Amino acid sequence: MGRGIMLYGFSLLGLVASLAAGAGPTTNPDPQVTALAKEVHDKGWIAYGARSPKGDWDLFLCRPDGSDVRNITNTPDFSEAAPRFSPDGKQMLYRRLPRDAKISHDLWGFQGELVMANPDGTAPVVLGKDGEYPWASWAPDGKQIVCLTKKGIQVVDLATKKVVREMPRKGMYQQPFWSLDGKWFCGVSNFLGEQWTVARMSVDTGEINAVNSFQNCTPDWFCDSKRVIFSHRPKGQEGKGWTQLWMADGDGKNRKLVYGEDGLHIYGGATSPDDKYVLFTTSPGDGGGSEKDGAPIHVIRLADAPMITGVSKDLRKLHPGTKGGPVLDLPVGWEPHWTYADVKAAK
Amino acid sequence: MSKSKNVLIVGVLLLIVGVLLLMYRLQADNGADPKVTTLGSVEVTAKLEEIRDTFPPNNLYDYVYILKYRVLQTHRGKVDGDTILVGHYNPLKPRAEAADARSGQIGGNLKKFSAGDVHRMALETPLDDYYMGPIINKYHGQDAGPLYWVVWTNRVVR
Repeated sequence: MGRGIMLYGFSLLGLVASLAAGAGPTTNPDPQVTALAKEVHDKGWIAYGARSPKGDWDLFLCRPDGSDVRNITNTPDFSEAAPRFSPDGKQMLYRRLPRDAKISHDLWGFQGELVMANPDGTAPVVLGKDGEYPWASWAPDGKQIVCLTKKGIQVVDLATKKVVREMPRKGMYQQPFWSLDGKWFCGVSNFLGEQWTVARMSVDTGEINAVNSFQNCTPDWFCDSKRVIFSHRPKGQEGKGWTQLWMADGDGKNRKLVYGEDGLHIYGGATSPDDKYVLFTTSPGDGGGSEKDGAPIHVIRLADAPMITGVSKDLRKLHPGTKGGPVLDLPVGWEPHWTYADVKAAK
Repeated sequence: MSKSKNVLIVGVLLLIVGVLLLMYRLQADNGADPKVTTLGSVEVTAKLEEIRDTFPPNNLYDYVYILKYRVLQTHRGKVDGDTILVGHYNPLKPRAEAADARSGQIGGNLKKFSAGDVHRMALETPLDDYYMGPIINKYHGQDAGPLYWVVWTNRVVR
């Protein structure tokens, strides 16, 4: 009973902290941070899922400096998660779940219904039944989606809802994303006996290669279609270790650390539409926080990477050549995504 | 010792042996039940040859673990060879508690995996058609045979 009250208290504190963070950017006197905030303020919008004051998950928009936060779903009877702007920024895909459903960081791609809406959340259209269109994400032209099913990768035409192409998934099991040049998929795979491998697959031939093996997830394409950003928990750390943000070329070359801090798990990595900035979440608990109240979202300049924050003795030993740079604190949320489109979001 | 005494002793011994045999037969269990005999497209009784390494924790990430079995009897369908590789979902859990949204219908009365035990299993193949998630396969590259998905797993007592 006492433990229950304590847990409730902590949850309430988390919710209050989340709401406080949702009210706008945190005050930070660091001039570098202020300069970065000014630099990115007008560069489009960030969409993310977060707890609403009513306790459900809604979708929010904010400016890339964390200002101008607005709830774009406001649906107390449902929870929404994992918003993803179309490449032209004119539409958005996300998943809608029953209000009290726990959003699984591992299974969310086939939880709830797939919804397509305007980028400001208006005109939502439910595309399928519960669990349909698993792991759906945008084709480069925004007219199709790619889904990942047990039977294989499916390309679905949005106008007709027909499967226009199917190909073997070759061990891929999570988060397929299509490169903007249309040539590649990336995703999380079982590959050559290694689970949690970030893999790249040729859309034309189905040929697959490892981008990075051993304990990786949440991959996403850079907008140049050549590089992949992903979360990675390297071997050799004490205990289970911490998850860092990494990048590599699609062929697995030029692997390097983007951002890390011992004591935090870095997830939800995505770049800005010009690949100049990096978006991610920092969570003290593994999994990114979808099962609880999310995690703080941040923005850094890619030019300032590799970056390590905090004391991070072990990580600094491994990466002695890291740079420093400002880290913008955005609201608390989960699976953020960035568009430079002029989203006319209603306040 | 009189003849009648000898007969009595032999009789008692035979009775004991009979009771033991009866107890053994009562304990023996071939694992058959309405689920394992109908689910899946293949049904085998097989001996778990080994468990390579230990099962990793499943507190945050569920997985399939590939185990190697020697087939003792094929009840339905067909398997290739005497040895098969099968994928058990979330093997740290008793089979009756392992099913979830990702696995769909799986189950059985097996509570714990131990090398050398015999299981009666309902199977499907290929594994990838029935499960989409992380797979730990310590036999990768050593065996070209198909991977089976285990739908139902019952303990066999012989």
